[in-house]
Amino acid sequence: MSKQSRIRTQELRKAQLEAAARKARQRRIAQVLGGIVILGLVAAIVVVVVKASGGSDPAVEKPKGEVVAPQNLTDSGAVLAGDPDAPVSVEIYYDYMCPACGAFEAANGEELNRLMDEGVARLELRPISFLDDASEGTRYSTRAANAFAAVVDGAPDLVWAFHQALYADQPEEGTEGLSDDEIAAIATDAGVPADVVDRFTDGTFEPWVADVTAEAFDSGVTGTPTIKIDGASFEGDPYTVGDLTEAIESAAGNQ
Amino acid sequence: MTAPVRAGLEPSTFDSRFARFRHSSVTVWVTMLIASVASLVASFVLAVDALKLAEDPNADLGCNINAVISCGTVGSSWQASVLGFPNAFLGLMTEPVVITLAVASLGGVRFPRWLMVSAQVVYTVGLVFAYWLFHQAMFDIGALCPWCLTITVATTLVFFEMTYVNIRDDNLFLPRRVQAALTGFIRSSLDLILVVVWLLVLVLAVVLKYGDALFA
Repeated sequence: MSKQSRIRTQELRKAQLEAAARKARQRRIAQVLGGIVILGLVAAIVVVVVKASGGSDPAVEKPKGEVVAPQNLTDSGAVLAGDPDAPVSVEIYYDYMCPACGAFEAANGEELNRLMDEGVARLELRPISFLDDASEGTRYSTRAANAFAAVVDGAPDLVWAFHQALYADQPEEGTEGLSDDEIAAIATDAGVPADVVDRFTDGTFEPWVADVTAEAFDSGVTGTPTIKIDGASFEGDPYTVGDLTEAIESAAGNQ
Repeated sequence: MTAPVRAGLEPSTFDSRFARFRHSSVTVWVTMLIASVASLVASFVLAVDALKLAEDPNADLGCNINAVISCGTVGSSWQASVLGFPNAFLGLMTEPVVITLAVASLGGVRFPRWLMVSAQVVYTVGLVFAYWLFHQAMFDIGALCPWCLTITVATTLVFFEMTYVNIRDDNLFLPRRVQAALTGFIRSSLDLILVVVWLLVLVLAVVLKYGDALFA
């Protein structure tokens, strides 16, 4: 081998080694960068989790302001529908966005109408708003419950009609829900006077709805619909007609 | 040869021990086995749920305080049976194949290249599908189901391990330069960093969107 070619081989080897070293260095840098990204992500996750668990408020901001309860509530702060002297009380916790509550209404609405008409049952309604997160930021649960409270306040005879009309047009969970105008139109169709409908958008009763929600949770309600008959939890099937009627009628029979 | 150049090539003992562990065939296949079994279990639970839901559409109803997993929304959405049957059935059909691959490979079987390429292609489709569902659940349905999330994570792990094996064994009919680059990539464990980053991004997305409901 000539000296020249030996030098060339050496240079070639050197170049190869340097290229390999360069690659290794690049990988080392990539590893370090990757490590930094990982640390950053872990830190971000920790921050988010700490923030989420620290703040007691749910994601959607609570309505602020003075709590104004609508007039015409029962002594326990529920919305009454039906004859106040009917023997059996049927307490319902519900959210206007909750599809299960819609299914409950669809199954039992007629029977509840009948039992109220016959003076067997009085309803004590407690609208809560825990599904505010499920309406793409429009807080449908709160808006609907606030409108409902305004009807309780201004047109108490129409609460049940308005309530049923809201469920008849219930939006799908996770959508923006009905607009304020659509809620107003449903109320007008149900016969709610214009001056009451006009107050919906004031949001007067939103803090009250938040209060009812908090109280419901404090009292051990873990989901909707929660139904209590004369104060005792109803454990039957709430989504098919029959069980609820039976439970109400047997409660009436016991009295 | 100069010292600094050499330093870049010399891994520390911890590095080399970790690399040996991480690149050993057993680790790779056991990881894939665990992930695919987890995926199968989750698919099975979801399939049973889907059947229950079909029998009685109200079975899964009832809105929980924890709005993240409320209302049976994921199970009853159209996305949950986009092909006309519950998605979970796909998992029941495909995961056992992955489990078989992993177990056989642990036992020393070497599969032909065409089979591994097919597995890679099919699993990549599965991965895309899993992430489409994840995206739908997060942004369209607005609910998250723990079993679905298990499948997302497990699918990701299986995909990474399968890709790792196929690059290591040069199964993918890639151009030489790409193959060489990818081999270097996995040798220096950059794929491991990638999958960790990937999963952490997933976790971050979940806690960002649902953190309040999950931890409040």
